[in-house]
Formats: sequence, C-alpha cells, structure tokens
Amino acid sequence: MSRSSYRLLPNVALADIAFRANAGSPSELFESCSRALTDVMVDRRSLRAVETRTLVLRAEGLDGLLYDFLTQLIIIKDVDSLLFKEFDVKVDREGKSLTSELRGEPIDRERHRLRNDVKAVTMYMFGVKRSGARYSATVVLDI
Amino acid sequence: MSASSKFKQVSDVVWEVPTSYKEGMNVPARIYATKKLLDGMDQGVFEQVTNVAALPGIERYSYAMADAHWGYGFPIGGVAAFDPEKGVISPGGIGFDVNCGMRLIRTNLRYKDVKPKIKELVDLLFRLVPAGVGVKGAVRLNQGQFEEVMRWGVRWCGENGYGWKEDADMVEEGGYIKGADPSKVSRQASSRGISQLGTLGSGNHYLEIQQVDPARFFDAKMGKHFGLVEDDQVVIMIHCGSRGFGHQVGSDYLRIFDGAMKRYGITVKDRELSCAPFSSKEGTDYYGAMVCAANMAFANRQVIVQRVREAFKTVFKKDAEALDMHIIYDVCHNIAKVERHALDGASKDVVVHRKGATRSFGPGHRDIPLPYRDIGQPVIIGGSMETGSYLLLGTSKAMTETFGSTAHGSGRTMSRTAAKKQVRGEELQRSMEKRGIYVKAATYEGLAEEAGMAYKDISEVVDTMDRAGISKKVAALKPLGNIKG
Repeated sequence: MSRSSYRLLPNVALADIAFRANAGSPSELFESCSRALTDVMVDRRSLRAVETRTLVLRAEGLDGLLYDFLTQLIIIKDVDSLLFKEFDVKVDREGKSLTSELRGEPIDRERHRLRNDVKAVTMYMFGVKRSGARYSATVVLDI
Repeated sequence: MSASSKFKQVSDVVWEVPTSYKEGMNVPARIYATKKLLDGMDQGVFEQVTNVAALPGIERYSYAMADAHWGYGFPIGGVAAFDPEKGVISPGGIGFDVNCGMRLIRTNLRYKDVKPKIKELVDLLFRLVPAGVGVKGAVRLNQGQFEEVMRWGVRWCGENGYGWKEDADMVEEGGYIKGADPSKVSRQASSRGISQLGTLGSGNHYLEIQQVDPARFFDAKMGKHFGLVEDDQVVIMIHCGSRGFGHQVGSDYLRIFDGAMKRYGITVKDRELSCAPFSSKEGTDYYGAMVCAANMAFANRQVIVQRVREAFKTVFKKDAEALDMHIIYDVCHNIAKVERHALDGASKDVVVHRKGATRSFGPGHRDIPLPYRDIGQPVIIGGSMETGSYLLLGTSKAMTETFGSTAHGSGRTMSRTAAKKQVRGEELQRSMEKRGIYVKAATYEGLAEEAGMAYKDISEVVDTMDRAGISKKVAALKPLGNIKG
C-alpha cells in the first residue's frame, strides 16, 4: 500500500458512493480524500492543472475540518465549475485548520471524462480515526 | 429469521413492528409490503423505521412503504407525522434533495407519431436540458430574483415567461409552499442554486418520453380526467429536485441541529436523524430554508417543462398548446409539510415528513386541484428507465391510514459499483434501443449504474399499494426515450 490511498466500499449506501482512505498523516489523508471525491466525479487523468485555488479553513477538530474541506470542493464544482487534479494540503498540528493549494481547470464536457455528480458529503459513518501512526477516514457521498 | 416471521401481520400487505422491538420506540412501526417484498428488504429498513418511531412527538406510527430501502436517518420510503409542539423536524426525514419529485405532462400525440422522431426529440432535449456534473442552466438570476424563486416557485416562473398561467394550479401546493424564508438560507447554498434552474442533475434523475401502456391502462375512465383518452397516448415524465441548493440547505442545518439537540436534550439513535423541535428557533429556521429549496425544485421542474415544450414544438412543428402539453400533475416525494389530518377523533395539524414517499390525498380534499378534486389527487410513481412508471390516484383510505401517503418509486437493490460490474453503459444503451427505448446519458458509467436490474420490481411495489388501498392504479407508462443525468 502506498503512503496514502483509498478504496471504494461497494456495500455501503446502495444508491450512493462510499470510500475509506488511509494515510500516514492528516495532510496526506485529506489529499487522499480529495482525490477519491474527485475520482467519483471525473477521470482525473483527463484534467489539466492550469488554474490554482487556495483554500484556508478552520474547524473544531479533524472530523469537522475534513467535512468542511470536502464540502468546499463540491461547492466550488457547482459555483465555479472547477474540478481539481492536484491537491497540496497542510493540516496544522492540532488538526483544527488547514491551508491547501488546489490545481485544476474549469469543466469541459468535450474533453473531460465526467462521471457522477456529487451533491453532498453525508454524516453517515463519517469520521477520521487514528491507529498508531496511521489515519483513516470513512466518507459516504450523496449522488 | 425472516422479517415476515418476526413481525405481526395486520393484513396481506401490512406488517407491524411493536414498540417492544427496540427501547425508546414511542409508537409501533408499520410496513406496507407483500411477504416477498418484506423478506427482501434490507435489515437497515427495520432498524431505521424503528429509530424514527423513537423520535419525540411522533404520531400514530412510523411507516415504511413497499419501496422502502436504507437511507440516511429515515429509510427511503419512510413517512412520519409529528406534533407541531412536542414533535421535531429532521432533514434526515426529508432527504438531501429537498422536493425531489415527479412531474407528468400530457400530449395529444400517439405512439405512431412519436416513434419515428424519438431520436431527434431525445437528442434535442439532451441539448436543451443540461444534465451531469456541475452543469448550469440558461436562466440567469441575481440574488434578489433567486429569492423570489425561493418564495414563489412555479408562480415566479409563470410571471417570468417560463410557463403557462394555469401550470401552477396543477402542481402540489399550487406551485409554492408558504413559509419560505430566504434569510435562513446560507450564502453558500444560494451560490450553488442560483445557476441551476432548468437542470436535471445526475444520479437517478431523468426526463422520459413515455406512452400509456395499452395492455395496462387499468382505469381508462379515470384516465380521461387527466386528459388521457388514447390507450397509447404519449406523455413526458420529469424526475429531479432542488439540485445542489437543497443539498446545501440540508448540510448546513445538519451541522446546526447537531448542536441544537444537545440544548434541547434530544438524543437520537443515528447521527443522520439530527433534528430540532419544530417550534424551536432552529426548527423554524430550517423549515423556512427547506421551503425555499422546495420552491426552487418546483421552479426547476417548471423551467424544464418549458424546454420540453420548445423541443416538441421544434420537432413536431406545432405549438405546445396545439399539442395539448398541459401538466397532468407534479408531486413532491422528499418533503415535510404542515397538514391537517384526522387523529384520535379530532382534526389536527401535524408535520408530515415524506422521504421517498408521495402524498396520496383522497377525493374531496381541498388541496387537490379542482379538475381532480372529486376523484383524488394524481400520484406519479417513477420506475427505472427500463421498466417504466405508473400513474395512480390518491384514496380516502390513505387519509385514514398513512397521513395521506403512498410509495414513490421502485427502490434500489444493487449498489452502483455492482451494477457497473454487471453491465457496460454502451451495451445497455444498445440493448435498450433494441427494445424500443432510445436513451442518451451524460456518461455511460452513470447509465450502467441506473440499469433496471439495480432496482426492485416496480409493478410489485405498485400492486402492493393498490392492494393496500392507499393509492389506486390508473395507467402504466412505458418508456420510449430517456435522458439521464
């Protein structure tokens, strides 16, 4: 297994899509989750990294921070029609804030291999867990 | 042990789960299903319908309809009514896609008129009605105009060139629910919704050209009330909701209710059952915001209706009026509303949550449009794109048994991942075309995920509700052409 990765959970939430991500740090975990979310919406290989956005967020803890971060990616998709190919996330030591640099481009229906539109991150099974030096997150997306 | 051997059988299609099933249940649960459907339901339905039974202020029963399957918090196919003072309102009892619903439009065309032009029609509709990831509609609004949409729904559309004067009357609640409060909608929710009017979305949403199935036009006499006079008449069905707007409203208030529950001393058996007292500030705020999303959904379907009329006019070279393209009806199937129902010998306001469930008001109800008031409201139940849909009528029995509610669709039985493993989108498209259904989808993956085999048998669901007497079959509707998000 690479240092950060995710796998789909096909038997969770039949009408929707669930995944579990693993990583060696909160920052890598957030990057894995953002790749998983984007992979549900588009084949990332068809995207180019030509536009950069910076996102700074604060929350009460890692759970809320991840929920807000993924929700922001969905909002940017709907409001600005932007999808991202690359994600650099830095979560602070306390797990209460992050800065991220997101690189992608506006949706192009001719060139991008689009998949499912994600409408929301649900609270179902949602959460970040730490086991020793590893972090994992379970996320169920409403399609 | 099978569910049918665990639960009390009330009739051949009604089962009861007693309050002893789980600690904290305030009322029993009732499940509408044949033995086969009941035993085929996932365990999640039984856990969720009984979790709902434990919510404060629930009245009479927690219900699961024949199409019930696991959802977030409430099961999809769930109905629950709450006392407005002692009870709660819960986004999990409405669904993220607020006022997802069905709209049915008639034409005076017949199968033989439409069949030769079905590809031209579907291809044009696919261009006119945006579907898929991150799409935007053609209606450009500023914030003030969008707030008018939130308040007035289809009425706004009628006044702004997106419909006919009479359209709003043929939509549940007259095209808008009273009580919208745009000040309770977050800036982010507004920014997601403002450019989405007239878009189909994705997932299980669709726009379908259908014909009355000549072999299953069950009640032609009632059909005439809807303008269905031919046994192969062509109709158009629209299934979509409030898009990202409704989802954002739901997400915003789930976070707010998480904190509110602690203040009000409410504990729930599942985080997705987050709720607040209906009469509390948080409950009132959410209701005002949720109604905004519901009215946006009515308007969204209305703008799509106008696009459909344009497409038919272009292809058939006749005005939509000449094609008799009137709305038969529009139903919400993800909603909470304050309704008056008979309860314990009195007439009482209750907050009815229908999540994946359809209103099914019987003859004589004042909320039914005049043309249908004597027969009961039209109930539109959508199936998968391969198996077709149904038009039914609401009944008096639904008023006395289920707070005027029935099922909404067929209900998924297979995950999206499993469906994609079983069939490829391209193959499915070809196989459907051989069977006389021309389908165009935003993506082949999305098409495969919505294959008919991933859903329950809609006919069994509809037969169950008909046998239970909480809605009565009028006509089955066969797909001819379909656009998928």
